[in-house]
Amino acid sequence: MKGLHGIIFSFEYHNNLRELTAHRMPASVPFAGRYRIIDFILSSMVNAGVTDVGVVLHGNYQSLLDHLESGKDWDLSRTHGGLRLLPPFSYQHSGVTRQFRGKMEALAGVRSYLEEIRQSHVVLADSDLVINIPLKDVYQAHLASGADITAVCTSNLCGPEDATWFHLGEDGRVNEALFDLRNPAGCHRSLEIYILSKQLLLDLVDECISRDEVSFRSGVLLAKANTLNIQSYVWDGYAAQIRSVKEYYDRSMELLDPSIRREVFHPKRPIYTKERNDASTYVDPSGTCCNSLVADGCTIEGTVENSILFHGVSVARGAEVKNCILMPEVTVHRDAVIQHVIADKRVEILESRTLMGHENYPMAVGKDSKI
Amino acid sequence: MKKECIAMLLAGGQGSRLYVLTSDVAKPAVPFGGKYRIIDFPLSNCANSGIDTVGVLTQYKPLELNSYIGSGQPWDLDRMSGGVHILPPYMQEGEKGSWYKGTANAIYQNIGFVDMYDPDYVVILSGDHIYKMNYGKMVEAHKAAGAACTISVLEVPWDEAPRFGIMAVDGQDNITEFQEKPKQPKSNLASMGIYVFTWKKLRQYLIDDENTPGSSNDFGKNIIPAMLNAGEKLLAYRFDGYWKDVGTLESLWDANMDMLSRGDLDLLESSWPIYARLPAEAPAFIGKAALVEHSVVTQGCEIGGTVLNSVLSHGARIEEGAEVHYSVLMPGVTVKKGAVVKYAIVGENCSVEEGATVGGDPADSDPDKWGITVLGPGTAVEAGETVAPNTMLNRNHKEVSR
Repeated sequence: MKGLHGIIFSFEYHNNLRELTAHRMPASVPFAGRYRIIDFILSSMVNAGVTDVGVVLHGNYQSLLDHLESGKDWDLSRTHGGLRLLPPFSYQHSGVTRQFRGKMEALAGVRSYLEEIRQSHVVLADSDLVINIPLKDVYQAHLASGADITAVCTSNLCGPEDATWFHLGEDGRVNEALFDLRNPAGCHRSLEIYILSKQLLLDLVDECISRDEVSFRSGVLLAKANTLNIQSYVWDGYAAQIRSVKEYYDRSMELLDPSIRREVFHPKRPIYTKERNDASTYVDPSGTCCNSLVADGCTIEGTVENSILFHGVSVARGAEVKNCILMPEVTVHRDAVIQHVIADKRVEILESRTLMGHENYPMAVGKDSKI
Repeated sequence: MKKECIAMLLAGGQGSRLYVLTSDVAKPAVPFGGKYRIIDFPLSNCANSGIDTVGVLTQYKPLELNSYIGSGQPWDLDRMSGGVHILPPYMQEGEKGSWYKGTANAIYQNIGFVDMYDPDYVVILSGDHIYKMNYGKMVEAHKAAGAACTISVLEVPWDEAPRFGIMAVDGQDNITEFQEKPKQPKSNLASMGIYVFTWKKLRQYLIDDENTPGSSNDFGKNIIPAMLNAGEKLLAYRFDGYWKDVGTLESLWDANMDMLSRGDLDLLESSWPIYARLPAEAPAFIGKAALVEHSVVTQGCEIGGTVLNSVLSHGARIEEGAEVHYSVLMPGVTVKKGAVVKYAIVGENCSVEEGATVGGDPADSDPDKWGITVLGPGTAVEAGETVAPNTMLNRNHKEVSR
């Protein structure tokens, strides 16, 4: 069967998301008022007509399971295909089962799943990427170019420290892949979305494992840029690799800009997420709310400015919330003042407390804390 | 498979008193309260009451309602056994079968459906009321009293009683008399149009009613009086929460305003959630120059202007410099720069272009001529145009009289 099969890698490796990933993986960090980060790439796949998606789990995946459930909110709860959750402990080596160390090892652990893929091609993606990309176009470009692998990358150099970098030739071919680059000027940054045929993926998995090469980056991109035809697909629209609190804060706040919001929430490519049953948000006469993104189920009786409110947030009379991100069910009590704060789920800011972060160092408050 | 109790929801009515709002959809599919449609209330009440089998009787313009209900998944009514079923009229053996002639006839024609579940009790609901109610408690009261029929009643002010079906009761709340819109009411207990029947009894009364020439095949007019005459035990079940029949434009507007004031009808209160099927939309954006007060906003809204005392459903766009006061905006409405909407119900996907005025303040109008202004779904109000208070426009921009 022609078409794309999706595989999304979630992972719990070293990042700077601090409190935000204390109870969850980057994939299920709340983002943009009503989503989890994984919703964006998952919706991009669904909107490109992908019907079968495997999500490779890792680390503390309870919160991700709660979110994805059967996949029904992405229309992926299917009799044939649909969402498949792939456990992290299936990699067996010398009789020992343990968590995988890299993408190739993860895929080797679920090799029988790979063999059963019904589609001719596979799109691999990371789960810490916020993007709304027409993957159909990327797939078309892949087929048209005849490349072995098509890699989505951006010319925007501001990204996470551990990015993968590409030197592109004039024909758009990836001549060299690098990482840990001190000065990436002239390079393109990989967004870690790759399209390749199912057969090539199986061959690469087998080859990497036989050489004890656990990672896709070093085993395929770095090692094979010369022998494989790796083509680039340059995407300069909104794309955020969320790997630090600062990145999380900055890329969230960008959503208050209407032009960026139009890119992320494209009317023809909706972002799906787990539906919740909240009533509409109520703004009291004593409250004011401006330049803010507000999910349903909130009660606003205080002042809210330049902020992002997830569902069920309540801001009491006299409270002041400025430049903040308040995750689901956060309560800000009377006369509390908070600025540049990221408050995780169910955080409570008690009466008359003052909490100030700074633009350069937003203050993250861990889940369920009471201040 | 046997069920102790199933629900039958009467959703076939045209809702002609909602005029342009029901020109393309059945009344239960009319949007309410920002995120909901009227039918979400009885369906969610069923789900929350533990009733997992619901037959929805449809007849008038059912397409939007059918696709809205779909598999019943948002209300947790997609079940292996039972779940939600759409029941339109159908042909019977020997080319019998007809449109539903009345509320009782609609159930009569679906006796076969009810029998599939062999229930002890059947709850009969309508698709035009806004309320949160535990039907389970009502069924318990029905069982405990050993009644043939239990009717949910609400105390109404005496002077309003003549507008309702009134139940006169004895000291044990047994119904002694039923008066339909009486001039001299004998009690102030109004029927809410919610019935629990012992199925064996109801089944027989439906068959008898069908064989009675000249019957209008209606629960209130025929079945209940017949049961009373036959000396059956009919129980009044008192309900004291919020309940409103939203069958008229004024009551629909009122119920939306009641929801805003969060008194008896608090939809943000989460112990008895109301579920809905929703499109995938981004969170609402409230802009730099926006002023929002005593209003609800829903995901997909983009607000640049002033919104006071209003209900905004998903996808509403209020541009900078536009004003919306005391109005109910159904999904997908756009109000452009300089336009003013006051005391109006604006149907789905309407657009109010730059500088237009829709409706007006009662204080600025002749009290005899003032009323809620209504735009039917898909109406476009042109730039600079004025739509006077108490006016109603359909999608072809034609005025419709009430």
